[in-house]
Formats: sequence, structure tokens, C-alpha cells
Amino acid sequence: MRLFLTLLFRNRLAALGAVLLLALVLLCLVVPLLPLADPNVTDTPNKFLRPFSEGHLLGTDHLGRDLLSRLLWGTRLSLAVGVAAAAAAAFFGTLIGICAGYFGGWIDNGLMRLIDMIMAFPYILLALAIVAALGPGMLNALIAVAAVNVPFFARNIRGISVGLTAREFIDAARLSGQGHARIIVTELLPNVLPVIIVAISTTIGWMVLETAGLSFLGLGSQPPQADLGSMLGEARAALIAAPHTLIVPGAMIFVIVMSINLLGDGLRDALDPRLRSGALARPSPVTRIARPAPPPAETPARGVLDLDGLTTRFEVGAQVYKAVSDVSLTLGKGECLGLIGESGSGKSVTALSVTGLVASPPGVIAGGAARLDGVDLLSLPYRDLRGLRGRRIAYIFQDPLSTLHPLYRIGDQMVEAIRVHRKMPLAEARARCLDLLRTVQIPNAESRLSAYPHELSGGMRQRVGIAMALVNDPEVIIADEPTTALDVTVQAQVLALLDRLRRERGLSILFITHDFGVVGQLCDRVAVMYAGQIVEEGPTASILAAPAHPYTRRLIACVPELGGGRRQLAAIPGLPPAVNRLPAGCAFAPRCDRARPDCQRDPIALRVSGPRAARCLYPEEALS
Amino acid sequence: MGRYILYRLLSAVPVVLGITVIVFFIMSLIPGDPATAILGAYASPENVARLNADLGLDKPMVQRYFIWLGNMLTGDFGRSFSLNRPVLDEILERFSATLILAGVSLLICAVLGIVAGVVSAARQYGLADKAITLAVLVGISIPSFFLGMLLILIFAVQLRWLPVSGMYEVYGGRTLVDLLRHIILPATALAAVATGVVARLSRGAMLEVLRQDYIRTARAKGVSETGVIWRHALRAAMVSIIPVLGIQAGFVLSGAVYIEVVFQWPGVGRMLVDAILKRDLLLVQGGVTFVAACYVLFNIIVDVAQSLIDPRIKA
Amino acid sequence: MRPQRLTRRAVLLSSATALIVAATGLRAPVLAQTPPGVLILGQVAEPKTLDPQAATAANDFRISVNVFDGLVRFRDGTLEVEPALAHSYDISGDGKTYTFHLREGIKFHDGSDFNAEAVKFTFERMLKKDHPYADTGPFPLAFFFSSVASVEAPDALTAVFTLTEPYAPFLANLATPTGYIVSPAAVAQHGADFGRNPSGTGPFKFAEWRANEMVAIEKNPDYWDGAPASEAIVFRPITDANTRTAEMLAGGLDIMVEVPPVTLSQFRNDQYTIVEAAGAHLWFLILNCKDGAFADKRVRQAANYAVNKEALVNNVLEGTATVAAGPTPAAFNWAVNPDVTPYPYDPEKARALLAEAGTPNPKITFFVTEGGSGMLDPVAMGTAIQADLAAVGFDVTIQTYEWNTFLDQVNPGLSGKADMAEMAWMTNDPDTLPYLALRAEAFPDKGGFNSGYYANPEVDELLNRARVSTDQAERAELYKKMQVIVHDDAPWLFVANWKQNAVATAAVKGLVLQPSFLLTLKNVSKA
Repeated sequence: MRLFLTLLFRNRLAALGAVLLLALVLLCLVVPLLPLADPNVTDTPNKFLRPFSEGHLLGTDHLGRDLLSRLLWGTRLSLAVGVAAAAAAAFFGTLIGICAGYFGGWIDNGLMRLIDMIMAFPYILLALAIVAALGPGMLNALIAVAAVNVPFFARNIRGISVGLTAREFIDAARLSGQGHARIIVTELLPNVLPVIIVAISTTIGWMVLETAGLSFLGLGSQPPQADLGSMLGEARAALIAAPHTLIVPGAMIFVIVMSINLLGDGLRDALDPRLRSGALARPSPVTRIARPAPPPAETPARGVLDLDGLTTRFEVGAQVYKAVSDVSLTLGKGECLGLIGESGSGKSVTALSVTGLVASPPGVIAGGAARLDGVDLLSLPYRDLRGLRGRRIAYIFQDPLSTLHPLYRIGDQMVEAIRVHRKMPLAEARARCLDLLRTVQIPNAESRLSAYPHELSGGMRQRVGIAMALVNDPEVIIADEPTTALDVTVQAQVLALLDRLRRERGLSILFITHDFGVVGQLCDRVAVMYAGQIVEEGPTASILAAPAHPYTRRLIACVPELGGGRRQLAAIPGLPPAVNRLPAGCAFAPRCDRARPDCQRDPIALRVSGPRAARCLYPEEALS
Repeated sequence: MGRYILYRLLSAVPVVLGITVIVFFIMSLIPGDPATAILGAYASPENVARLNADLGLDKPMVQRYFIWLGNMLTGDFGRSFSLNRPVLDEILERFSATLILAGVSLLICAVLGIVAGVVSAARQYGLADKAITLAVLVGISIPSFFLGMLLILIFAVQLRWLPVSGMYEVYGGRTLVDLLRHIILPATALAAVATGVVARLSRGAMLEVLRQDYIRTARAKGVSETGVIWRHALRAAMVSIIPVLGIQAGFVLSGAVYIEVVFQWPGVGRMLVDAILKRDLLLVQGGVTFVAACYVLFNIIVDVAQSLIDPRIKA
Repeated sequence: MRPQRLTRRAVLLSSATALIVAATGLRAPVLAQTPPGVLILGQVAEPKTLDPQAATAANDFRISVNVFDGLVRFRDGTLEVEPALAHSYDISGDGKTYTFHLREGIKFHDGSDFNAEAVKFTFERMLKKDHPYADTGPFPLAFFFSSVASVEAPDALTAVFTLTEPYAPFLANLATPTGYIVSPAAVAQHGADFGRNPSGTGPFKFAEWRANEMVAIEKNPDYWDGAPASEAIVFRPITDANTRTAEMLAGGLDIMVEVPPVTLSQFRNDQYTIVEAAGAHLWFLILNCKDGAFADKRVRQAANYAVNKEALVNNVLEGTATVAAGPTPAAFNWAVNPDVTPYPYDPEKARALLAEAGTPNPKITFFVTEGGSGMLDPVAMGTAIQADLAAVGFDVTIQTYEWNTFLDQVNPGLSGKADMAEMAWMTNDPDTLPYLALRAEAFPDKGGFNSGYYANPEVDELLNRARVSTDQAERAELYKKMQVIVHDDAPWLFVANWKQNAVATAAVKGLVLQPSFLLTLKNVSKA
């Protein structure tokens, strides 16, 4: 509850709405106690007095009645009617919705068809007809406005109820022999209630507007009683002669509806769990870069792609998650470098940081550089960086079902990748794409061009992902677990394909995976990541043969070996540490069977020895 | 696809039929009768009874309903006694006016609402976002008829930029330019609320979509931010925006009642209000059936559009 | 597969634009501006029909009065009858036979001849159930002529009406639209749609009707009484009073009728002229004389004293009405008793009368309508009246009804439902209102409009005698006596006589309003 209020008030607009509304409600409650003029006493010679006239703060209306007094009494009535109508609509809507959702079948069908009919009826006319049938008066207007809003509630609640009814706890209640009414009241209703409350809060504003609309058509409260709608209606004729009589109630309606809307928005957001984590924030085109001291824009290149102390963090509220800490890597020309680690070790974030693709907020690149031929990509202006993306550095992502646009055809997505970088006639671009699809061994490539991603199998999609990365002949390909979602045979085919392409085209590949088996098939060198840091690095064969870091050994042990019989597949006990609470020393120490007390004391440096390096005080094998 | 559309059209028939029953039922609950409406102050019980017999309203209700239904199925909607002409002529003549007004308003609400929502999402928490959010709040909080009257006062009476009311100039005109000049104010007033709703929804949908992996893919391909937002994100967001346009169509058609009164737009909304007040059952029946059918039809179009834009939905 | 995508786009595009483009019915430009000599007049509502026998609303009459003529008409500025299509008429001694001598050489707008057969056709269509064109109705106001037994055409230029009994208001009724002569040929041609294709003998011919946009009538150069001053008149229906006012202020109208009282101040300058005319209109409250507090005459009088009518007409109605003295509007100048003066505003007297009646705080249910022809801002009026009555001790509860429901509640009688109800009548003859609404024979269950059950044998006797007399002086005497009695009995709360008004731009010349509420535009022109 406190969290809820904190969230609500963090949204300043919602807080404003809440305060305004609260003030209005309080004001309405104390209206009878205020020293106001009688709202119904007429004084026709003093009609249409302007605001700030003596004795009439807001002036008088067409019969000389005090506008301030009528405004406050009217607001009281209108708010009460709005709340009552919303509650009534919610009650009946919920009743219908729950019954339809719970019983299903023909009851659901019948009720929903009825709701369809009422929704197709222009609601103002329906309200008008109801008021005409019942006679005018605030109560009848209330009934009409409530009635026309029942379908909206019914639809919403039905949707939720259908979902809930399918859940186990309802089945359990049924099996225990409880009656329908009891199940609905004790099991279903409590789960639907929060939705109803939010819906009511957002509907009250509508109700006030709609009753005002009915009064505009002459069907509202009985004179001389004041409500905001009838005040508007009565003042309508005087719009030109005495606009204040119209503007006063109009402004009040505006304030009420707006504050209710603000509050309703705030409520909805505060109840939405995703907003709490900031996940609904829009990712910017480039990750936010906040490096305390920008590195030199250009340095002599070691390889095609050099990472120098790259550091990326996620800042969520007051929490800082150190996803990537001081990572340095070098990818040589034509080389395939494996980057391996468990989920959450920071390998994907490292890959995305290279071209500033980490979602931001919450991501921040807090230090280091990513250099392509010695040029720091993160220092480039956005336009230049964008020009590099997909042209010189291309990505192959995991799970192409979610990484390919679901609503565009394969061909269009590939052609776009070419044409954002250079002018090429459409036909030529398509021909090139077709060629690439054949290169990645997609059968019937011609027809696949006009297929949608969901129409392809997982392996096919992955090949499309690879082909798309190749369209601009990039120098570097960053492949982020491109084979994880595939079965073993397909995986092998895809790896073979990548290997072939690398050799034929001289590509440099940064290959991210959690599987040493895959690394062994493809990579020249490998870097092992744990908790955002490189813990070991070196030639693949050498590391496979003699891992230095205990973590590396464990990772290798996870790989089943063909013909190795029933070797023990030792899952690594424990979980990686939360990167917002990293220990001072070795992050792996708590899970390590070789850990000693001094492991956890101070940060541990990466010790380099020839082609290999490891971050361990007590390595498995002393590096020579 | 054709089969799907046919199925949807057929299943709409009982809904429209049900609506006629509801209208008939409600109208029969309303006290007063057409004869009273016609005779006004001269409506003595005796005169009323005589005129009702002349109008054929002395038959039992159920019988009248089926007579009407039967005639309607043969294309005869009957004769309006409050307007003294065939119901169908009147509806057809006025319905185009309502469709133009509602259509333009929907277009405004779709284009403006989506653009505002997209810009707002693209500049989340920026100045443009705040300005749009504020404008949207104002839009959805002002009663449309109030806004309409203010627009008349400012743009027609004070500034004299645009005409006060009507659809065409009385003399001359009847050109597209003439229509546009007349439609700007009422369409704006009518679209205000719906535009706000669409803008809010579009903003939410865009924010949702912009977090998706395929947006990251587009950026990784080097697609410009404009392309990312308008080509990639908007297309995907449309999947959740389009159904809301369908719902807004209902609001716009309903809201046209107020706007047609304020701007003297020669549409069907104003006519139906009068028809209810004058107990012109046949006109109400015919008109509401038309409006409801239009709404149902529009929602079918929306569903079809939805399945066209999203290939994953198989019709 | 590419073409399919194009189709998809095309479908989307057309579904979005079909609504707009398909129905616009764009037409070629005709004229850029209102031509000279054309008057644009803002009306209150779309006319229902231009068939003068089928129409019932003042709004419709404003058009049909300019397209049709009656055998007789009201003399300019009065409610006295003078010849029109008939150059003269004779009334038999027993008051039952009226012989009209018709003008020669007049043609209907459709080219057919105006003659006695047309007169016979007009009235038989309305009155005879077995007439071949009886189904072009209904004719709601046919009862104006229910005393007509037969109409004969002995020759082309003579029409003879035979009445079942003497009926003094007959001539006045002939001067109203219900008595206007229609073209038999046009009725035969258009049948039930004659109301949208009217053809008469009047100063203007019907030209065009665009639903809810306008009705245009154009000059009839061959009009028998001299060609009209304008080329054409366009009637624009603008229902919302505010919009109508805005349109007038923005220059979209030349003339606007029924100006809302609160906006009159906008037009009090030299760009506009305001014209007004007291009409034969009475705005009153029916008091329930049968049961409840108002069964006591002193309570009825107390109510009459308690209401500040001056304040109502000057402040609520902004001077668009005058205080009503009694049951007969001052516009019937020949029949009004100058000795009958309005009840003065005297709250003390009202309290005293209530005390005398032993009911210092009578509970009153007050039926108020939200609108309706001639009802003059009924909600504001009702509210103000309620406040005045409350000030002297009445405990008044208002119940408002939309006009039709209101009539449905009031016309069958107030007994058991209410003590007081608003009502307004516009009439053409001093007989109509009291005869239909004040006699014991006119109780609701007897087909009349005496919803308050007022019964005074003396009044009944006076009204019955006045109705059958053909001598205007004698009738005047009888009505004057009736007014004294009714004023004292106070079966109604007499409130106001409406002065109808209109606003025209300064360029408009010759606009005059008539006490009959018929808007003749023949002599109106625009400079």
C-alpha cells in the first residue's frame, strides 16, 4: 500500500489530480456548512451580474441566482451522480460479465450478443430514449447514463473472468462442491475487484460528461435544483451575452474530469508492475553514454574490433546493476572469438554495447571504448554510428521469431537492410537477397522472400537472420547465441554454415554462447565471462584442454561428449551473484570449491600469460 | 477471406434485428404519442385518438412491429409522420451528411491521434510529450458541445474565418472547398475526445512495441530513427490501435448528435433526437437500424483491416 | 505476391476513404455568393410540410403563408379579416351559409387555374374521409372546419360553404394556413409528397428543399396582388438558438425570427433592426380548480397576486412579452375589455388571502415543460414563478417534462397529478381559447382542453352566445363580460402575452410582423 502511494505520488500529475479531486470532494462535503447564498432564490433584476460583483463572487445567472452557491451545490450533485452512476454501471456490468465468463457456453453467447446490440445502439440516443421513457430528473438521467455504460464493464469483466475461470483454484472450488454463487462471490470476485476499481475511477469522469450532455439536450435535474449539466444547459442561450454563466460550470466540469483522468492514469500506472521497473520507458536510439573520462577517439588498432575496459550498467531507480565491468577483448581479422558464460553473465550486454544497442533507459555505458579499426564507436555521432550498424558490424540474434519484424515479409526486411545504407534498385536488392538466401541454403528461396517470419521453421528463420546480417558484406558479425533455440542437427548445420562463410569471406565473428561444445566447433579463441567480467581468455584448444579458472572447468564439464558414455553432467551449484550486489573479491568464490578466504577480500586482476589469461588466485592449472 | 467477410456479415444480421426489437421496446415505453406531437396544444384526447387512427397507430404493438419489419425487408421503411415523407428518403439524404462528418472526424482522430501518440512516445518525457499529454487531457475533458460553441464564437463570430453552421453555402458552393470550410469546426469539436483517446492509446502501444526485440534488430540494421518509429514500431502498434478506432467510431457516431445540433449539420443524429421527442417510431426505427448497421459494418471493416495488417491472424 | 500487397493497401485505403468520398456527392460550383435580392432567413426548425392543411407549426406556416393564399386574409397589422382570393363574400342571415366571389384570372404556380373547384377540392380533401386524395393527409387541424357541412361550386367563380351551425370564428379560420387553397393538379401529381412540392397562388413559388439545410422560394412575378420585392427567400432551419444568433452575428443571415431574449442586447445597435409585434398569444398557468389547494378561489387569486409578472416579462423575457391582463390577449383589440387589468404584484395581499383561506403554506405540484411552441423559456419562467410563490408561503415542487410527455400529462386533465401547469396558446379568434379551455363542456373527458376543470355556467352561456353571433359588436360585448368573470374567478394564473420578435440586418427593408404570427414577406427587400 505504501509502495502504491509512493508510486502514485511519484507521478506528479497524478498527485495533482488526486489533490484537486480530494479538495473538490471535501468542498462538496462541507457545502451545507458554508455561508453561501440560497442557490434557488431568484432576483431577476440582478441577473447576469459579472463575476466579482458585490455579494456574488462569481456573479449571477439568468434569474439572478448566486452562481458560486449554485456551482458548489451543483458540483456536489454532479459528483454524487457521477459516482453513483459509475458504481451502478460497474455493479450490473460486473454481474453480467462474471456470469458470462463463469458459466460460458450459451449463457456467455447470449449475454454477449445482447451487449453487442446495446453497444451498436448510439449510446446518446439510448440514454435519450431511456430518459424520455422514465421522465426527466436527475435519478432517471443517472439510470440512463449507468445503463449505457453497463456494456463496457460487462465486456472488460467477462474477459478477465474467462481467464480466471480456467484456472485451477476455480476447478478446485467446484470439485469441493461449492455452489456457483459462492464460487463467484468468494473466489472470482476478489480477483476481479482491482480491475473494477480502476475502471470505475476512470469512468466517473465520463459519467459527469455524459450527464452534462443529457442536460444539454434538456434532460437533467428538475429546476430549480442545480447540477453542472443543467447549469450549462440553462446558460447556453446566454453564451454570447453573458459567457461567464456558461464558462463557470464548464470550467468546473473540465477541472473535475481532468483531475479524475489524471488520477485514473496514475492509478493505472501505479498498478502496472512493468512501470515500476521502468520497463515501459522508450529505449533511445543509442545507449546513454556517461563515461567519466572519454577515451581517445582513435588509437592504433590491435584487431578489427577492440574493446577497451568496456563498462555497462543498468540504473533502475536507486539500484545500479553492473552488467559489464571493464571488459577488454580483441577480435582479429578473420578470427572467430567465442564469448561464453551463463545467462546473466553480461555477454549479450557486452555484444550490444559495441554499437550502443543496449536499451536505455535503463542501460548506461559508464566507461571504456569499443573500437572498429581503432576508431571508438561510442564517441561517434549518432549518424555515423548508424551508418556503421548493419554495414560494417552486423548482428545475428537469438530467437529470430521475436527479433524479425512479425508484420513484414522476409524479403522486405532484408531489402531494407541494404537500402538504408546505399541506393540500390529494388530489383537488384531483391536479387541479392535471393542470392544470400540460397547461400545460407534455404530451399525454395524465391518463395521464402515473400513469406512472413511466422511461416518459417526455427532453423529457416535463423538462416534468414544470418543472411540478413550478410547483406552488406560486413567486416564483423556479432552472433548472439544464434543456435540456442535450435535442435542439434540444425545447430550443427548453422555452425558449419557460419564457419564456411567466415573462411570464404574473411569475416570476423564475435560468437556469444553458453555452450563450450559450440565454441569448440567454431572458435579460434574463447573468452569466459562471469558476473560481468572476463575470468579467462585464450586459444580454444588450450583452454578446453586445460582450463585455468574453476568456473571454466565447470562450464566445460557441462558439455556432453559424444561417445563419452554417461559422463556426469555437473550442473554448477548455486546461482550467479546479483550484479547489483557484487562482492569485493572474486564473484565466483561463493560457488567455488577451491575458494579460500582471501578470494573474497580484494578485486582480483586478470593475470596474463602468453596467449592466455585468467582471473583467479588459485587456478586449476598454473599458467605457464 | 471472402468467406470470413460473408460469415461476419451474416452474423451481424441478428445483432441488427435485435437492435430493432430494443428500439421498438424502448419507444413503446415512452409516454406520449405521435399524434400529441403533431397536434401540440390542440392535442385533446379526442383529437389524438382520431389522428392516431389516421396514422395507423391503433393496432397492437407486436402487430405493428412485424408489419414494419416485413415492409423493411422489402425495402419499404414506411413514412415518417413527423417529416411527412418516406423514412428511407430522409435517412439516405441525411446519412451521407453524418457519414461525411463522422468520417472526417474519424480521419482526424486517427491521423492526429496516432501522430500525436507516436511523437509523444518517441519523445517520451520530452517537451513534445508533455505538451501533447496536456493537450490530450484538455481534449478528453471538455464536453464536445461546449468546445463546439467556443469554436463558433472564436472562429466564426469573432474572427469570421469560417462559417458558423450548415454543410454548404446556401447559394453557390457545394464544392469540396465549400464543404471543407464548413466541416473544419464541427469535425474538430467532434474529433477532440476521440483524438485524445487514440493519442493516449497510441503512445502506450508504441512504448510497448519499442521495447520489442525486432525494434532492436531494426536499429542493428542501421535503420534511421524515423524509420524505426514510423515503419517498424508504428506498423506493429497499429495492431492494437486499429480495434480502438473501431470503438471510437461508435463514440464519434454518437457524439455527432450534439455536434449536429450545435453546428446545424444536416445529419441523421439531430433528426433522430427530434424523432424520439416526436415519437416518430418509424423514423427512429429506420434511423437507428441504419446507424447501428453502419457501426456493425465499420467494426467488420476494422476486423478485416486488422487481419490484413497482421498476417498472423488468419481470417 | 506483390500485387496482393497492393490490393491490401488498396482495400485499407478505400475502407478509410470510402466513407468520406463516396458520399460527398461533390457538385460543380454554381454561384459564389448570395445573389442580390435573395433574403436568407433563419428559422427555428426544419419544416415538416408545406402542405397548408397538413401543417400545424408556426415554423411551417412562415413558409406556406408566402406560397399560398386563403379566400380571406388578416388585414395588415390586425386580426380583422379582409378579402383575398375572394374579392367579396356574403353571409346568410342565419349565419350558416357563406358565399365567396372569387377573383378571376388567377393561376396556381403549376399553371393550372384557380377556381371554385379548387376551393371545393381543398376543403373536401381535408374534411371528407372518402375523398380520393384524403390519404395525402393526415390533416390534424381539420377540426377548425368541423362545422362545414358542404362546399359547393355553382360556377367557376363562386364557392358556397354551408355550416351545420352558426360559427363566428369561421372567417378567421379561413384566413389561417389551414384554410389556404391548394392546386388540385399539384396534389394529383405529387400525392402524399405534395407537402414537399407545394403549389399555390401566393407571392412566391416553391423552388427547392434540401433536408435540414434550406427551403427556397422564388418570386412569382405574376402575383395577383403585385409582384414581391425580393427575388427569392431562403429559409434556413437553425434549431439551436445560440447557433442561430451566432449565424446572425457572423453575417450568415439577413433575418432571424424568434430571437432568444437574452441575446437581444447583441442586436441593439445600428447594424440591425429589431421588429416586434404583440400577438394573439397567452402564456398562463392552468390551476386545478377541482382538487387540491387551488379549488379555493382565494388561493388562486393569491397565486395571481404573488407572481411578479413585470419582473418576468422584463427580466426573464427581456421585454419580449407584455403582462397579460386576462384570458383574452390584447391583440384582439375589438374584443378586449379595457377595465380588466393585470393582477398587481402584491405579496402581502397574497399572504392575507392564503391566511383567509386557512392554508398559509399550500403544497403545490407544478408541471413545467422544457420547450414547445409559444412556451417562451418555460423552465426559466417556471423557476422564477416557483421562487415568487415560495416567497409568500406556497410549497411548490416542479416537475419538468419534455413537450410531448407534458401534453400527454396535461391535456387529459390535472386531477390527481398536479395543481398547476404551464400552457400557451396562439389563436386567431377570441372565441378559440376560452371556448376550448374554459367551459364546463370542454372538460378533458368531453374532448376539450379545460384541464383545470373550471366551470362557471355564466361563462359557458356567454361563450356559447358569442360563437353563434355574426355581429362583431355583439360578440365583443359578450367576450368583455366573460373576461371580467374569468379574471375574478382566476382559473388561470395570467402571466404574459408574447411579442414575437425578429432581427434583420440594417439593409433589410419592409419587415413587419403580424399579430397573427404569419410572416408575410412579400414587401420585404434587401438594399
